[in-house]
Amino acid sequence: MKLKKIIISALILAFLGAFIGYKIYNKPHVNVATEKADVVLSADQILADFTTDEAVANAKYLEKIIQVKGIVSETKIENNTGIIILQTNDDFATILCHLTPQETKNISKIKKGRQITLKGICTGFLMDVVLVKCVITN
Amino acid sequence: MKNLYTVFLCLFTVFVINAQERYLTKSGQITFFSESPLENIEAKNNQVLSIVDASKKQMAISILMKSFMFEKALMQEHFNENYVESDKYPKATFRGKILNFETISNTESKVQVKGKITIHGVTKELTVETLAKKKDDAIYMKGSFFITLSDFGVEIPSVVEKNIAKQIKISFNFNHQPFKK
Repeated sequence: MKLKKIIISALILAFLGAFIGYKIYNKPHVNVATEKADVVLSADQILADFTTDEAVANAKYLEKIIQVKGIVSETKIENNTGIIILQTNDDFATILCHLTPQETKNISKIKKGRQITLKGICTGFLMDVVLVKCVITN
Repeated sequence: MKNLYTVFLCLFTVFVINAQERYLTKSGQITFFSESPLENIEAKNNQVLSIVDASKKQMAISILMKSFMFEKALMQEHFNENYVESDKYPKATFRGKILNFETISNTESKVQVKGKITIHGVTKELTVETLAKKKDDAIYMKGSFFITLSDFGVEIPSVVEKNIAKQIKISFNFNHQPFKK
């Protein structure tokens, strides 16, 4: 009788463990559209931070949800991903915003020269500040 | 005759300017693929910066490690935190020479790119066979090669040894456009 109880509780524990393990393994990606932004700032500001001290900016912005406001200088679709480029006060550097597949469908509505607010995950700075999984918030 | 001379001079100038042209892409693709008996892992990076300097026949590539997107969030986390330590080494780079640059034509042909690749803070010499083509003023380059994780000091814990291949296949696809501005 006692043995039976032990076996049953062990089975329940094993099942729970497997369930939790499976849940962790399949942990979903961050949903940028529903999450609140960690940092809210302008295109000029984030670029200035990266050009002043890249290491400091990396620590501050990488993998964070960034909400950035700027003027659209170009839009395009490459490899089925919509890209919105925000101009800055630097002639060469921009903010490159790669859209999510769903948001890419709305890119034709975005006109050059308009002000826009986007939310995305910052992955770093090459020639430009790169944001991925972007959604348009305004 | 003098006019003809001017025309030639103009043509020559145009040729020289063209020869110094740079080509670049800010949305190059790099995919890595690990095949193992337990699971296949793939990650895609669509934000690779690649620059071809036609006059020097050189190529420079910069890759943000955090731009690699995985199917599973947990894999991406492990990749960044435990394997490539992307907080410490946020970028991978390649710098090299395109050995037979003059053979690139409007039909796809093989060229060799020889240079130095840096991943996880470790630099290695490497020659990669690349399919290249020049069409409508754009330079296309694509191909794939294998890297060995231990060469770059990437340690895989023994618990997940069977889940991750020792040799990772890296595929790339760059569509370089002429650099204006």
